[in-house]
Amino acid sequence: MKRILLLLTAILACSFSAHAKLNVVATLPDFGSLAREIGGDKINLVVLAKPTEDPHFVDARPSFVVSLRSADVLIDGGAELELGWLPPLLQNARNPKIEIGKPGRVQASQGIHLMNVPANVTRAAGDVHALGNPHFAADPIIAKAIAQHIAQSFSALDPANAAFYEANYKKFEASINAKLQEWGAAMSPFKGQQVVAYHDSWPYFAHRFGVNIDIFLEPKPGIPPSPSHLTEVIAQIKTQKVKAIIVEPFHDRRIAEKVASTTGAKVVEFSQFPGGLPGTDSYVKLIDTLVSRLAAALK
Amino acid sequence: MWEVMFWPIVACVLLPWLLVYLGLHVVQRGIIFIDIAMAQMASLGICLAVLLHLDLESWTTFGIALGFTLAGAAIFSVTGKRASQIPQEAVIGISYVVAAAAAVLLLSRAAEGDEEIKNMLVGNILLVTPREVWERFALFLAVGALHFVLRKNFLLVSFDRGAAYAKGLRVRWWDFVFYAVFGLVVTSFVRIAGVLLVFSYLIVPAVCGINLARRTANRLLIGWFIALLGGVAGLFLSYWWDLPSGAAIVCTFGALLILISLFALWRHCRAPLGPRDSQ
Repeated sequence: MKRILLLLTAILACSFSAHAKLNVVATLPDFGSLAREIGGDKINLVVLAKPTEDPHFVDARPSFVVSLRSADVLIDGGAELELGWLPPLLQNARNPKIEIGKPGRVQASQGIHLMNVPANVTRAAGDVHALGNPHFAADPIIAKAIAQHIAQSFSALDPANAAFYEANYKKFEASINAKLQEWGAAMSPFKGQQVVAYHDSWPYFAHRFGVNIDIFLEPKPGIPPSPSHLTEVIAQIKTQKVKAIIVEPFHDRRIAEKVASTTGAKVVEFSQFPGGLPGTDSYVKLIDTLVSRLAAALK
Repeated sequence: MWEVMFWPIVACVLLPWLLVYLGLHVVQRGIIFIDIAMAQMASLGICLAVLLHLDLESWTTFGIALGFTLAGAAIFSVTGKRASQIPQEAVIGISYVVAAAAAVLLLSRAAEGDEEIKNMLVGNILLVTPREVWERFALFLAVGALHFVLRKNFLLVSFDRGAAYAKGLRVRWWDFVFYAVFGLVVTSFVRIAGVLLVFSYLIVPAVCGINLARRTANRLLIGWFIALLGGVAGLFLSYWWDLPSGAAIVCTFGALLILISLFALWRHCRAPLGPRDSQ
């Protein structure tokens, strides 16, 4: 029995070393950037959504299906953020290696305590995600957990390079740990300050850095701002002296500008995704940029 | 390539023939935007289903959408009067904007985020499933058979309304049947291919046919050829250059139409007095 197992492991190892690089597909650029940190040049990485694209709506192209078909690993959020576009792509790709439960499927939300899980899911609450808020990768500590999860998957599928992946994870973990103090120091003067966001994408970021981001330009997630709601938001901004309104590249900036011009708050461009803002080609640089932009606006 | 593009190609071969034929009717009647208005009516029905917390895949939802499509058919058949001051296209445009705006209002109340609904309404030809293709093919065959059996009356009502009235046909009733069946076809095709593509398949091949020939049968043959060529070529381009498939097909149609118009113009200039078509 033992010999058979050994033989099987050997065959598996051979079959993986035969094609040298793991084919990795990430649904969103934040997962893609974490995969790059871990996999380095030992993986072929394809990221489906562009960093400036709304992660709720992504237009499928033929290459998406092709990449998913030949993928050894798929990294997705696992919290319904890609609900609108990933399932039909997977159905078309029919790749057993990346089915849920296989080592080739990394669901980033696995093992993560999601915030704002609705007590009872009704459609009346807007575009809520039944599993909780899916924008969790904006918290660097959660990003570490995702990176570790990715490293485990890569190591299981490509044991020959397991030490490489593990070392890269340690490096990433160390850089986040070092940066966390720096980021914390930059944000500490603004503890408890209120910030407005277009969409509810920032509860994890807010929780980590001690600000409140719980007023939104959207009356409900995914519902465009209505006049009466905006009036209410403007009143809140004035009474709470809010200084910053966060928008992402795919939001209607003009609405934020309008609210800003009547209240004196500043519009701050944010992105959940590395590459969504200039000079943010890695995860650490993205959080660097977000922290410095927000700190500058709150001063 | 084949494993990804096979079913989209099958869909673009098996389905558009009926749209091209209906497109000839629609262009002849001068009601170009009726398909978009009909699709919007159906989606208004689905928005209502969302407001009522119905399962979007259920038969009740389908029934409501169908009901709205029939209501649209009724509106368009009643307003298509013989000697009205108001052009039919105005009624169609109004129906479209009101249905679209009503959908926005309903959704703001229902507050379901629109990603699921958008997904329900507007398909992507790249991601069609075999089942979707066969279901629509069966529906299109049935509608095609109906149109074939009753072709005399349908053609007369679309192409020669005066004669239809003179013959004592109940034109409004025929209109209603035409629009109802048309709405069914359009809505089911939009679900797998999107609004842009349905519009292109209806209008571009028909316009190409009208550009090049006079007899309905010849126009239809040219239209079918253009639909086949544009659809399959568009899918290939979409694969080679990795473009969104529906938009690639639509732009291929646009290019084909320009080429054909230039050809028709050149032929017209060369023999302005000659017979324009071998009749």
